[in-house]
Formats: sequence, C-alpha cells, structure tokens
Amino acid sequence: MRFSLNFIKEFLDIDADAEGLVEILTQAGMEVEHYQKAGNDWIFDIEVTTNRYDWLSLVGIAREIAACLHKQFKLPSVKLVKKPLLGSPRIVIENLKDCPYYIGRVIRGPKIAPSPGWLKDRVANCGLSVISNAVDITNYCMLKWGNPLHVFDLDKIEGNIYIRRARSGEKFVGIDEKERNLSVENLVIADDKKVIALAGVMGAKNTEVGPGTRNIFLEAAIFSPISVRRSRRAAGLDTDSSYRFERMVHPDCLEYAAQEAGDKIVELCSGTFGGYAAAGKKPPVKQQKLTIDLDHMNRYLGQEFSGVKVKSILANLGFSLIKTAGQKMTLLVPQLRLDVKREVDVYEEFSRVYGYNNIRTSIPFLVPQEKRALSTGPLGKLYRFKNDLRALMASVGLREAVTYSLESSAQLAQLGEKDCISLSNPMRSQEDVLRPTLLLSLLKACRYNLNRGNNSPRFFEIADVYAKAGRSFQEACVLAVAACGGQEEFFRLKQAVAEMSGVLFSGKIVFSVGARPNFSNALIITIEGQVYGFLGKLDSNIGASLDLKEDFYFGEFDVGLLYAGRQEKLLRRFSVYPAVYRDISALFASGKKFKDAEVLIRSTAGAVNRLDVIDSYRGKDLPAGSLALTIRVFYQADDRTLTSAEVDEIHTRVRVRLEQSGIGLR
Amino acid sequence: MEEELKKIQDGFAADTAQGLDPQALRVKYLGRKGLVNDLFSRLAQMPAEDKAAWGRRLNELKNSLDQSLKEKMAAPAVFREALDLTLPGKGVIRGSSHVLSQVSRQICSIFEKLGFEVIEGPDIEDEWHNFTALNFPADHPSRDSFDTFFLDIPAVSVSAGRHLLRCHTSPNQIRVMEKNKPPMAVISPGRVYRPDEVDATHSFMFHQVEGFAVSRDINFSHLKGVLFHFAQGFFSAESRLRFRPHFFPFTEPSAEVDVSCFKCQNKRPEGKCSLCKGKGWIEILGCGMIHPNVLEFCGIDSAKFQGFAFGMGVDRIAMLKYGIDDIRLFTENDVRFLDQF
Repeated sequence: MRFSLNFIKEFLDIDADAEGLVEILTQAGMEVEHYQKAGNDWIFDIEVTTNRYDWLSLVGIAREIAACLHKQFKLPSVKLVKKPLLGSPRIVIENLKDCPYYIGRVIRGPKIAPSPGWLKDRVANCGLSVISNAVDITNYCMLKWGNPLHVFDLDKIEGNIYIRRARSGEKFVGIDEKERNLSVENLVIADDKKVIALAGVMGAKNTEVGPGTRNIFLEAAIFSPISVRRSRRAAGLDTDSSYRFERMVHPDCLEYAAQEAGDKIVELCSGTFGGYAAAGKKPPVKQQKLTIDLDHMNRYLGQEFSGVKVKSILANLGFSLIKTAGQKMTLLVPQLRLDVKREVDVYEEFSRVYGYNNIRTSIPFLVPQEKRALSTGPLGKLYRFKNDLRALMASVGLREAVTYSLESSAQLAQLGEKDCISLSNPMRSQEDVLRPTLLLSLLKACRYNLNRGNNSPRFFEIADVYAKAGRSFQEACVLAVAACGGQEEFFRLKQAVAEMSGVLFSGKIVFSVGARPNFSNALIITIEGQVYGFLGKLDSNIGASLDLKEDFYFGEFDVGLLYAGRQEKLLRRFSVYPAVYRDISALFASGKKFKDAEVLIRSTAGAVNRLDVIDSYRGKDLPAGSLALTIRVFYQADDRTLTSAEVDEIHTRVRVRLEQSGIGLR
Repeated sequence: MEEELKKIQDGFAADTAQGLDPQALRVKYLGRKGLVNDLFSRLAQMPAEDKAAWGRRLNELKNSLDQSLKEKMAAPAVFREALDLTLPGKGVIRGSSHVLSQVSRQICSIFEKLGFEVIEGPDIEDEWHNFTALNFPADHPSRDSFDTFFLDIPAVSVSAGRHLLRCHTSPNQIRVMEKNKPPMAVISPGRVYRPDEVDATHSFMFHQVEGFAVSRDINFSHLKGVLFHFAQGFFSAESRLRFRPHFFPFTEPSAEVDVSCFKCQNKRPEGKCSLCKGKGWIEILGCGMIHPNVLEFCGIDSAKFQGFAFGMGVDRIAMLKYGIDDIRLFTENDVRFLDQF
C-alpha cells in the first residue's frame, strides 16, 4: 500500500519526520519497504498483511499512527444526505450473498476536466494513475476510506442496473480496452442490454466517464470477498478495487466515502446532486464486546503489565472500556476493526503498540514428555538413525547430494516407472510427478558433474520416495548411493555398503547375484534372509539414452528396514593369535565367480580370518572370458597359533577342493 | 684387489655426495649381499700369505664405511632423498554431508539443548493438516501467498481435503499435537514445496525448520528468549533480534523476526551493505503464540494450554551465513560446491 505523508496530515497532526515515521510504522507492524521524497511530500510503501484490510485506507493508517504516538484519532465527520431518492435507474440485486448492499448517487451536469494540482498529487503520490477530476475523486475517496467507488456515464446506461452473475459467453471490454469472455464465475454490473462493469474489479469501456459525460452515476457497494476473488481470478485481473473487496470493506465507511465523493464531484466538477438510491441492506456492524482478563494476558505475554498502561494503549487504538471488574475488562471493539474477534486479538493489539521489543525475554524450562516419549518414539529414533547413517556414509568417502523430489514422468517411463503420483498443477513437464526412486536424480547429478569436468563424483542421498498404493499412497525413506566411471568405482561403492553393514549389522551383509530391471549386473543385498536393497551397474544403453558418458553404478536401500534390522552393538571378540597367509593364483573361467571360491575356501578351511584379492588380470594369453586372481587367504585360530604344518595341511585341502570345483590353480 | 677396494671407496664417496639414502647405501655396501661382503668371499680364493693383510684392509674399509654411515644416520635428516615435497598431496577420499543437512542439524541441535525433541513429518499432506487446522479459511487471500502443488491421490474424506505437497513445515505441528498431550516441545525440519519459478533466490523445493512448544504456561516472553538463544548460538554472541508485528492465520500475536546484519553490524555504511541492503536487519523467522483455534482443532483445551511456534527457511539462512548467492547451487550438487563444507 502506498500513501503520502501530506494525505495523512489532512486529518492527523504529526510531528514526526520521515525517518521517525518509518520506525513507528515498522514497529506497529506495517513494514516500510520503501520510502522517498516527492516534492514537499514523502511517499511510503508499506506491507499490508491480509488480516488488516483497514490499512488499505488512510483513515486506518492514521489511527495506527495516532495510537503509536499515544494520541486518539477521530474519524473525520461526514454529513450524510440521502434525499432525494432516485426514481431511475432502479437497482436490482440478483443474489444478496454476492452483493449485500449497493448505493448509487447521481450528479448532474458535471464538467469533466483535469483535476486541480492538489488532487493530482494525492492520487499520484499514492501510486494511482491520474485520469480526470471525477475519476480521481473516486480514487481519492477509496484511498481515504478504503471503499472502492466507480463512476458511470449515466446517459450510456440503458434501463435499470442489475448486479448479477454473467451468462456464459457474455463479452466484456474493460477500461483497459481488453475484451474478455465471461462465465458464471464473474459477478457483473449490467443494464438492460449489456455488461457495464466487472463488479468490484473494473468498469467497462462502454460507460466510461470522459469529457463528453453530462451526468454521472456514482456506485458504492459491498461485494462478497469470495465472489470478487473468484471473478477477478477467472478474468485474470488484480486491481486496487478487487484487492480491497477481497479482504474486506467497511459498511460504515461506505456511506462516508460515497457521500464525500458525491460532494467533491459536485464541488470540483461544478455539478448538482441528483439523488440517492440504495438496494439491499447495509450489513449491520455489530461492535463486538470482548472481556479480557489481565491476569491471563500477563501469563500469555510473560510480563506484568499495569492496568493503567493497558487501558491507555487500548483507548488510543479506539477500544472503549465499558466495565472493569477486578482484573477483568469489558471492551467495545473499535468500529473499523472487524478483524478483532477474540481475546488473543486484543493481546496482539496491546503488545504490538506496547512494543514486542519492550517485552522481557526469558528462557522456559521445557519439561520433556514423560519418558521422553517423543524422542524415544519411532519418529524420534528414525531421525537419529538417519543422522547416524548420514555420518557413516560420509565417513566412507561419499558426498551427500540433495536432489529434487519432483521428476519428469516421461523420463521415468524410460526406466519403466509408470503410474507415479502426479501433480494436478505442475509448473513444467520436467517436474510433473513425485519420484519413486532416486536413480534418475543421482544420475543427473553425476552427469552434471561429468559435463563440468568433475570426475569420479560419488554420491549418497537420504530422502523420501513416493508411490501409489491402491487408492492411497506410500512415502518411504531410502538411502541411495551412486558413482560413475571405471569398475573400481563400483567396488568402492560395494565396500562402502559393506562398511555400513559392519557398523550397523555386525558385518552380516550378504551380496547375492540377482536381477534388477534396468541393470545389466546387480547384487541383491540381504541380511539374515531379509532383502534390504540392491547395488548394480546400470544398463549402458539406458545411461547413453540419458546422455551419461560413463558407466553408472547405483544402489538403493529402504531406511525403515535398515533401522528395524539394526543389531545391538556388542563387542565381537577377535583372535589374539597371529594369522598366517598363503597366496593362491586361481583362474576363473567364464561363468565361475569369485563368490564360489570364497564360499568353498571358508567352508573347507573353517579358520579363515579374511580373504583379499591382491591381484587380478585379464589378458589375451588367458582363455576367453576368464579372469586370473591372486587371492591371499589369512588363516587364524581363536584358541592357538596355527603351526606351519597345520596351515599347510588346511591349505592343501583348500587347493584340492578348488580344483575339484573347476577353478584352475596356477 | 687394490682396484676393487678403490672402486668401492670411490663409489661410496660418489653415492654419499649425491645424497642417497644411508639405509640403502648400508644395504648396497655392507649388506649380506653387499659389495664389501662380496670382496670378503673372494678372500678365500687368495693365497694364504695375502689373506691376513687383505683381511685387515677389508675390515678397515668396512669399519670406515660403517662409521661414515652411522654419522650420516645420526645427523638430522633434512633431505636424505631427492624428494620434491611440493608435489600435490593425494590418496585421501573425503565424503561429506550436504551443507543444508549440516545447517539443519546445527539448528535442530541448538534447540535440542533447550529440551526440544526432533520429529519429522511427511512431504505429502492434506488440506486439513496444511491449511484448515492451521486456521486458514477456505478461499481466503491468505491461501494465495501459499500457492500449493496438489496431487492426484483421491481424498480420504471431505474434511481431510485434497492431497498436496506441504508448502510449509507447520502441518507437522498439527500431526504431533493431534496425537500427543501437552507438555511438549518439538522441532521439525523438512522439505517444503511451492510452485515458484526457479531463479537465484527461489525454488519450488526448499527446506524449513519448524518449532513449537505447548504447556500450561509457555508465553511470549519465552518465545523471545528461545529465539535469542538460537540467534546467538547460530550467528554470533553479538547478534540482536528485532520483532515486528505481522500476520499468520495460525498464530496470534504474530511476528516476523530480523537478526542484526552480521556483515555490517547494523552500522548501515554509506556504501550500502550488500547483505542487508542498508537496512541493518535481515529477516530470518516467522513466529507467534499458537492461535487458540489451532489448539482446539488438535483437541487441546485452549483455556488450559498455550504455546508458541516459529518457522525458518534453511536454504535462506544457509545462504546468509555462508555468502551463497544462488539457491540452485544446493541442488546442482557440483562437487566443487559440496566439498567446501
């Protein structure tokens, strides 16, 4: 809302300079976004919150300033003249819910001309366009009282005035010269033949007041906020007028605004008052009575306030004190403040004028729930688990990524993901569904980095994925890991997952070769039979179709399952006796996997501490598709040092079993 | 033999002049398979009368080399090897948590120390939790500034309303209060979504932290105290806060909170601070006393209990604290950005 200092000074005596006023306004809750000098005037742009429709008027702002300066403000007085009554046009309201009250005033014989200088300044300094004396007067009164007004060229109105819903397809050309098709969503002012205004939003060109106008019909009305909002949204408009109707316009100010506008048109345009008409019923402004308990307010705000101070501030805000009984005060809410409905609203009124920054500060003693029920409940524990998981994944060399939860349904379809939860009102097709997997997002993060020369991005992300579940939905948290590049990147991811298992699952993780759609190679990860997720290499055709130039490795795990499957941490004793190692050079023909050898070695030897692959080789001198590995096997017993002879014996058995299984030894 | 002896001495002199590692030299000259031992083994093939003399000469040589090497080892080893230490370091692979996670964690941790408990809520919400129970009237302009993404999941009931992506973390207040009796103090971080064009300071997905406390005597003074405690813990001990009246449907009184600009310390330099645009204050939070209607919607008797609530944008606060000028950096995940935190 833009207003000027000189305008306020028309009805409020202010000493403060511009800077001082900025402070006062901001502290009262009208944050000054911008202010500047304009000739001998100052212009302020304030933020108006949606509940304070009264700040959309100068009288409303003036009252606030007065209260902050500890003064009382009196509404300027306007003498209402409602006679003679107009015979025509008749005003017909179709639905009182859309328009409870409509007033018309006629002014005869005005001369439409440019406004005098002071009026131009008032209107322009409040950010509105200067048009002509009659129109500027309506804007002046709207700015002053908060009620939008409109002037029609009376002679161009054919027949009666109707306030009704538009019929589907009816046309409207506004004073902005744009033609629009209307629907039943639009509330209009019409005469017998045509639409003459979009009610509360904008007048039509066909009845615009101009130099040729000989008679003016002045409209002042109350339109329901909902119908104006729906109407202006349907028409794609947002005007100073609709803005005010949507929030609330005051029935009492309506009469004053219309009277003052009529008077000023008569005065400045040399016209004569032609008559008054009204339709509907002025909504009664029932001034609400509220009883507040000072003890309760003090407990609510956290400070002891003196009754004297409270009464003084509330009086300056326009509250009338009807009765006092001990700590209880019965108040009459000020006429203009229809937004004050209950005690807490009064607390806010008092505390903001007292000054939030003047209220004392204290630290509460926050009593934890019994047995800390919230933190030890499933959600509290899950939060801590996610943090532990995050720290763990960072410690094994992965970078946490944060990627968008929204994806493109077209791209997800390429991965075979169909029927994702979709947005009814997406902004772009690239973000029109909720993702059911982190695969695409992390692939794009890797691609982004590769395209910028950042090699070996290695990511993890802990985030929710979303899927339909019958008529309902599921939102679950997953951990995903991703890397791209050469094969060693995959095995790094695998080791990271194994390390995670070591900490959370006592190392009981089992990687089994499995199948996974979109993946050319995949491992299914189970712990004691329960599947937790997978880890694999994306089919390179898919990667290529998504413009990824390197191989992509990815794994995803259900965090809820990981959390549920955690093993309680208890020390796993390790042997104090030295380990002895022997190397095996093994040839794995195509089809034979390292896992087969590992299982054989462990089951044959029993006392195997660990196996390392210390060398691997594929070459032309090997049979096609085979892999030569040097495996270092560490033998160690829990109860004694194994002798060389014992180790040799075990190792020989191992070698025999391996050869029997078809793994060549060199 | 004389020649051999000389070769060893010359060779040794040359090697030590080059600054080769004394350990390596010890092995080369005095080791089991070293040059001196090699000569000793050849002693056996010599005529008897020469053996003693040559033996003595070899021993002298051996002792002299040994002594020389001992001295070298005892001397401070400045550059025993020709090693260029200015080469880049390598071999460390550092993982990290995302800066947004770090900031969120830090914020939650400050409040946890006061007794708040961290409870997260779902991204997918319904109108009841996101608007109605938070005292937003249907079809009111206050829902405009909170435009939302709606989802094609059938509504569970008319009162629950349509499903949507939450546009703030406040719905979780409702979820927790619906299921738990006061007293309680909860912190709730999470992702939120608004249909906003993506640019340097806006995105359709960002992060917030919500906090609220309800008991028989939680009051506005406590709200101020808790937020001061936060500002001083998160920004600096010198931070000051300014509370400005504002409006939210779910709190009354409501306030917006500014922190003193940590770049210009509110001195408003002539050159206009790039962080606070010369205002001296930076908006960081919205807060207020929980509106009694909200408590009632959750089945909590507003005559007996009262509470406060606050919410802040994590992305925005991270950007202010670390001088990050583009919100898109958070979701681009360029490793040169991620690795700085």
